[in-house]
Amino acid sequence: MAEPPHSSQPKTFPVKPKQKPKPRTQNQTPESKYWSSFKNTQIQNLISVPSLTFSPSSPHSFAAAHSATVSIYKPQNDPLDSPTTTINSFKDVVSSVSFRSDGRLLAAGDLSGLVQVFDVGGSSAAARSALRRLRSHVRPVRFVHYPKLHRLRVISAGDDALVKVWDVAAGDSPVTELRGHKDYVRCGDSSPVNADTFITGSYDHTVKLWDVRVGDSKPAIEMNHGNPVEDVVFLPAGGIVATAGGNSVKFWDLIAGGKLVCSMEGHNKTVTSLCVGRIGKSSDDDLNQFRVLSVGLDGYMKVFDYASMKITHSMRFPAPLLSVAYSPDCKTRVIGTSNGIIYVGKKKMKEEEIVGGASEKSLFWRIRPLENTEKKVFRPSHFRYFQRGQSEKPSEGDYLIMRPKKVKLGEHDKLLKKFRHGEALVLVLEGRHPGNVVAVMEELVSRKKLMMCISNLDAEKLELLLVFLRKYCTVPRYSGLLMGLTKKVLEMRVDEIRGSEALRAHIRNLKRSVEEELKIQQSLQEIQGIISPLLKIAGRR
Amino acid sequence: MIRGGQNYVSSPPAFSNDCKRVLVCTGNTVSVFSTSTGLQVSSLEGHTAPVTSILVVPATDVFCYCWTSSFDGTIRYWDLSVPEMVKKLDLGMPVSSMVIPSFLGSPEETNAKTSSVFAYVSVHDGKAWQIRKCNLTNYQKVGKLVLKETERPEPLIISPSGNYLGIKDKCKLHIWKLPRVESDLAVAKKITLHHTKNITILAFHPTERTVAAGDVTGRILIWRGFGTQKFLDPSGSNNRISMNDGEDKPGVRQNDDAESCSVWHWHSAAVSLLSFSPDGAYLYSGGKEGVLVLWQLDSGKKNFLPRIGSPLLYFIESPDPSLSLISCADNQIHMLKTPSMEIMRSISGIKPPLSYQEVCENFSGKAAFDCTSGLVAVQTENYGIQFYSLFANRGVYEVQVCERNHQPVDDVTVLVTLVELSVDGSTMGTVEVKLPEEGIGGVVCLKFWELDSDTKRFSVSTVIYEPHRDVDISAVAFHPTRRMAVSTSYGGDFKIWVCKERDIQQKGQRLQNSGWMCHAVGSYKNKAMRAATFSADGSVLAVAADTVITLWDPDKNVLMAVVGETPTPIVSLAFAGKSEYLLSISHGLKPQLSVWSMSKLAMAWSYRLHVEAVCSTIDSSYFAILALLPESNERAFKGNGIILLFNATDPIPVASMSVMKPKGGALAFLKGDLSEQAVIDGKTPQTLLVYINGDREYVIFNPYDKEGHKLSVIRQDVALEETGQFGYSSIYGELPKFDLQKEKTLSVMSSASERPWETIFNGSSHMLPPLTKLCSVFLESLLEKRTAVAE
Repeated sequence: MAEPPHSSQPKTFPVKPKQKPKPRTQNQTPESKYWSSFKNTQIQNLISVPSLTFSPSSPHSFAAAHSATVSIYKPQNDPLDSPTTTINSFKDVVSSVSFRSDGRLLAAGDLSGLVQVFDVGGSSAAARSALRRLRSHVRPVRFVHYPKLHRLRVISAGDDALVKVWDVAAGDSPVTELRGHKDYVRCGDSSPVNADTFITGSYDHTVKLWDVRVGDSKPAIEMNHGNPVEDVVFLPAGGIVATAGGNSVKFWDLIAGGKLVCSMEGHNKTVTSLCVGRIGKSSDDDLNQFRVLSVGLDGYMKVFDYASMKITHSMRFPAPLLSVAYSPDCKTRVIGTSNGIIYVGKKKMKEEEIVGGASEKSLFWRIRPLENTEKKVFRPSHFRYFQRGQSEKPSEGDYLIMRPKKVKLGEHDKLLKKFRHGEALVLVLEGRHPGNVVAVMEELVSRKKLMMCISNLDAEKLELLLVFLRKYCTVPRYSGLLMGLTKKVLEMRVDEIRGSEALRAHIRNLKRSVEEELKIQQSLQEIQGIISPLLKIAGRR
Repeated sequence: MIRGGQNYVSSPPAFSNDCKRVLVCTGNTVSVFSTSTGLQVSSLEGHTAPVTSILVVPATDVFCYCWTSSFDGTIRYWDLSVPEMVKKLDLGMPVSSMVIPSFLGSPEETNAKTSSVFAYVSVHDGKAWQIRKCNLTNYQKVGKLVLKETERPEPLIISPSGNYLGIKDKCKLHIWKLPRVESDLAVAKKITLHHTKNITILAFHPTERTVAAGDVTGRILIWRGFGTQKFLDPSGSNNRISMNDGEDKPGVRQNDDAESCSVWHWHSAAVSLLSFSPDGAYLYSGGKEGVLVLWQLDSGKKNFLPRIGSPLLYFIESPDPSLSLISCADNQIHMLKTPSMEIMRSISGIKPPLSYQEVCENFSGKAAFDCTSGLVAVQTENYGIQFYSLFANRGVYEVQVCERNHQPVDDVTVLVTLVELSVDGSTMGTVEVKLPEEGIGGVVCLKFWELDSDTKRFSVSTVIYEPHRDVDISAVAFHPTRRMAVSTSYGGDFKIWVCKERDIQQKGQRLQNSGWMCHAVGSYKNKAMRAATFSADGSVLAVAADTVITLWDPDKNVLMAVVGETPTPIVSLAFAGKSEYLLSISHGLKPQLSVWSMSKLAMAWSYRLHVEAVCSTIDSSYFAILALLPESNERAFKGNGIILLFNATDPIPVASMSVMKPKGGALAFLKGDLSEQAVIDGKTPQTLLVYINGDREYVIFNPYDKEGHKLSVIRQDVALEETGQFGYSSIYGELPKFDLQKEKTLSVMSSASERPWETIFNGSSHMLPPLTKLCSVFLESLLEKRTAVAE
């Protein structure tokens, strides 16, 4: 202790509202921060959206089926309201859409039983009419899917409990017809590792793995979910499938022959749709970044980390959710609801990341310009000689001396520093922040100047004060100060208040809110009176 | 025995000739501090009353001598290098101020005539303070000649040239021109300058005939050319007066002998500090505002050193032009770098006690002790807590509790009412109260602080606004082992707080954060709760509910038992160490110290004493109390307070010592490894008791040690031995040698002490054992004596 820190260094203490107690729940984890960082926009005025899908190729447009229309949106467009392409050639409600792996063709099935294939790679006019009309289903088609690794086939299934595989190039009749399901088939997905295998899920509670090469209508593996299956999805490694049915999402290991791995029971109502999401960070470990996104009729979207078997994020929407999709570039997440709103979550990517990546790629082929490598030495004749080193970044071993942090002062702080107490009070009253007003009032109390300020307010400012008091004097956090103050104000300024009609109106409102609060308190006391004997009895046991 | 906590600012300090040392009056001693480190180097001991002035003999660097005057009626001459006393003059009258003109002025003058050194002293002859002359070289007696009598001791001010001596006396300024050649008979000429307000301070210009004075309203008056007629004109002033009538003497009052008088006004309160710079171009002034103002003498332009934070008392220039000292009322001496007006270093004394009792009735002002590291935490005026090292006798650091800047002139609106430290010293609890304005806007705020293990500084962990609604908190107590605390309120409830760890992930790294949360709330019949304490193992929480003691299980918050009833509300509770006894203290009309047995849940014994403080050892069943004695007993005990050491099982005290100024005092047992700091007779003491009095002077001693062994203190920079003398008695008077002990101890003691019968009948009547008992002891002690002689 050669030198005790001098106690009376000039310090400034800004007048701040009192801190609120921090919530006991933990702060956002980095993962839930990631998932809530998607900026939500809405596409409204549709009828319910049963199916959403992303184009696998850039720019990753997404197609939404709603009523008898399929709309394709480009997420990069800023107001998302208008679709880039709209396909109207349906006779009934569209139930399912699917892009081909190159994103140029789109298959869609409707409730009339017709499956159509459209060209969406070119102009929007070309997409108006279907390239193929595949009619074989006699009941509504619920599921149409382009396999991830096969460009020619389309899989479809529907309420006739049949699963059909089409060769789009060859013709209008199905190549294979797979019978095995005993109820409506609602969903399916193709394996990301094998072009010939796919799974379907049905309302008969089963999920079946099919192999196209085996034509005897017998599934390779069959799994019983226990509820009508609403959606199935292959996880990226291809060994595990996730199935949604009832309130649960179950994970099955196909390699182990359809063994249940785990079950996620986070939803309160039926889970309607699943998709695989990826945490789109440039993190080095690829293992731990895939998640399963599930949406349900309870309005929740849940993110499930199947590696650690934990729900890592949960998000609520104000409507039953029917479909979810996640773009392959991790920038967009879309959710369709039953009341015709598509919630589009867009992630803001840093421009530099994209540009930087591109330029590096281009630099790979070019020779770097000489200026960049050689450091320019400025002479005193050059004006930059005097600015050199100002923006230098510190290297690792440097000893940093920080500039002392400046205390940020608000407007009211500046006024209080100049002892302009009345002006400071009026300033915060004009502001919108009740915490600041109370903080300034408390500061004035400790300077013994509050009463003086209030007695000096003119009629206009007094009105401002009364409005504030009416709004906040019953708020529990502030009432300790404000109730006493209200009484004092009424005593001090009774003449002005009597004289002005506007002020009297405020007083009437004030009275009403106080009476309301009294009623609330009384009823709370009644409740307490009921509960406390019960608690006492409970405590005795 | 270690003493400390002295007032550093009772009198002006002085620099040594080489500017490397500062001599500070610290009560009966003069402490010598180093200017380069701000630490104490040595001390001059010998005076038996407060030292009032220090005058360093000007010389070359090698010789360092000084004169000191004291209220004990002596003037002493010291050699600073050794340091020891060389000469002692006994005036027989208390000296309040002393100046020696020949030390100033031109050096060749002093060298030429080394005949004798004369001092002007302000002494009290029994009726009034008189300014007299005193020959220090050939001392026989204080000079008969009385220059002036004053009602109060006025400090003597001498001009830097050594030609003029001045004092203030209410609205007047008396200035003497001192004779050039001093002798016992030489008479000084005197003039008087008048003002309408009471003058508080004056200062002489170093070269010109100019004097500045500050008054109670904050005005600074500067008389230029004073004494032109009387001092300069040898023929007298009769013929000049007629001439002066026509002359213009702006601002000068009542035909005073000065050419002009100008007034400067900046200070809002009384000026307490005035000093000219050595070159005479500037004037320093300061007052209650804690702002040092630097006036340019010619133009009146001002420069400021603001926010020193405490009323300024003295400004001392050093021979080194870049260094000067400011003494502040908060017991700090700041070393100032003069041209840049920058505080370089501080000599930090313990901050003086606050006088807030009239502002807030629940203000306690009790100090808290960190028993393991030997620190005491005291509330300071600037809304902070000062941590003061008891062994090193210096301020360690300060913690700002309220986020406010202290202005000494402002009314008190915020105050820290309570400070409490946990047993291991790692946690601190403070309570601050914002006083309401006209009944609205008062806030009570409880803060928990955690000690940073690296920096050893407290930082705030949790802030709780209005923990007991709008009612004041009466006490805070910490759990001895766990991170748990209890706060009690006058509103009739107590809250148990626990510290919970929280993990917060921030930017990838895991931060451990802890916060205090309310764990339980309890109340007993809505009675005001004024004290709480945990038992030594932490399993029982005792809370005083008005006049009864309630015992709780702190974990389950279950009332376990209610004990007893005292006549007046209990204000303090403590468990007597690890024993099963609980102590309660009540104040009021029937003050009482009660000892309750926890096994029987009944009172074991009690005393009708006004107990100011209590503390107990951690590991044994001993405890010490600080009791206020009734005024009638003061004479018998040579002090108005007494410290009694008890064993909880026995109502007869083991040891006792009388002390002064017990009001607002505190006691604590210091424990832990003291091998670095203090050693008693070569071996580490088990326990030391510290007593801090109402003025925050403290003394550390071993309560079990009857002989008063010397306690040598090893400081980091210098070894300082406090030798032989039972130094305690020199400050608080001789100890009465009465030892009221239980029979066994007494018989043992009687063989050890030589004349034990003297001690047996001492003490107040209510504490004396029955006479039948005493008689046998008395006879026994006589017998013992005989046998000792026979051997």
